[in-house]
Amino acid sequence: MSGETETRAATETNRGIGADEPRTAIAVDGASVRYGRIEAVRQVSLAVEPGSVYALLGRNGAGKSSLVRCLLGQRPLSAGTIRLLGEDPWRHRTRLMERIGVVAERPDLPPHATARALAGFVARVRDRFDRTGFLARLERFGVPAHRPFRSLSRGQQTTAALALALATDPELLVLDDPTLGLDSVARKALYCELIETLAAREVTILVTSHDLAGIERIATHVGILVNGGLAVEEPIDALRDRFCRVSVSAAELARLEATASAPLCRRPTAWGGEEWIVDRQRQPELEGQPDFEGPWSDASGREPMDLEAIFEAVTGGDEVWRPARPIAVPEEPVAKREALR
Amino acid sequence: MARPLHIDPSSATPIWSQIEEQLRRLVTAGSLAPRSAVPSVRDLARELTVNPATVSKAYQRLVAQGLLEVRRGDGTYVAESPPGLEAGERNELLTRAAERMVIEALQAGARKSEVETAVQAAWNRLGREHGADGGDALPEKARTR
Repeated sequence: MSGETETRAATETNRGIGADEPRTAIAVDGASVRYGRIEAVRQVSLAVEPGSVYALLGRNGAGKSSLVRCLLGQRPLSAGTIRLLGEDPWRHRTRLMERIGVVAERPDLPPHATARALAGFVARVRDRFDRTGFLARLERFGVPAHRPFRSLSRGQQTTAALALALATDPELLVLDDPTLGLDSVARKALYCELIETLAAREVTILVTSHDLAGIERIATHVGILVNGGLAVEEPIDALRDRFCRVSVSAAELARLEATASAPLCRRPTAWGGEEWIVDRQRQPELEGQPDFEGPWSDASGREPMDLEAIFEAVTGGDEVWRPARPIAVPEEPVAKREALR
Repeated sequence: MARPLHIDPSSATPIWSQIEEQLRRLVTAGSLAPRSAVPSVRDLARELTVNPATVSKAYQRLVAQGLLEVRRGDGTYVAESPPGLEAGERNELLTRAAERMVIEALQAGARKSEVETAVQAAWNRLGREHGADGGDALPEKARTR
């Protein structure tokens, strides 16, 4: 028990740790991760409230995995602080991992062990391990408990890792792309298991995923990383309200361009007009305008966007969209670009 | 009832609001009778593959509005006499229709008086066909205010 760490944490951030218990399940403050000259995570601050399901999204290479590795105490930050359940994961990894369930991007189960043998081992070293629950979950998932993990499919390994994580009754679940490599049946089973868990007790979930359609039904909050910086962080309902897609006819185009500031993204359509994506938060001046109320309202042209469409617009999606107004990401990652050249 | 709710996550309407509205419609249409049981939060969340907190939020709002009742240790039920919603729904429908009309009128560059004249003409023409009580009903009421 380090008294020094706790006093430091308490003075450093007023939301990361309370006098008795943490009010924030995960508090990241000004976190940066550098690999040599490459800055993989840049000045990320985020807060995950207890009981929420926080979807951390980003394209490949956006910094998700680096950030998750730091959250799990597998590597230190270059700058900034992280508190998980009020503790520094780098300094108190072992103690903290007793309270956290993890499904890693590549399930790290011992290849030669069977689930049954692993359950026996974990039951001896962890107080809170529910062996019966673990084996029951495996059966529900259809994962054989008597075969070595190396002979199981990717999906079976992931679900076994989830069953293992849930069996320790964790306060916090960190799931790093749990649906990767799962077919749609296995994905559905995984989501059902998470729903059961959420219904049964208070648990906080941080999940990275590329299955946007699946995760958007469960997430309460969404954070989107772009080039290592957190470009968007919103409760899911606010996110849907913030972005909208509008069709602008050729006739309206000139008028709108003269009166409105540039949209977040735009692309020409086959009909001669353009399709715009508007970040309503960044263009509040449009809300009261007849132009906005008119052609951009629900009655004509304005279309809701699902998480996938919002993700494509925010992460650049240069192949799809011509970004007209880059979203607020901390300055361009020059070092990273040069290194990749 | 096999599967009375359908959720569209890509809709601009939040999922909890979609659940709330659809349950409200089921209750007002009588598909869910007074005092009948509604699924538990957990069962409905699993069926729709959504976060239980989302279902719970919809239920809580409907309980607050008197449509649903929670019986402690038992479950959630449709209220014995759920409040009539016709007036509220009709109001909302009218508001939305009027907004659509105003938007199109603005785009066409119409004046307010032109819109009023057009509504009155449409009322006179169509209202009678649908058995409305005379073409004057709308302006008559407006005058007495």
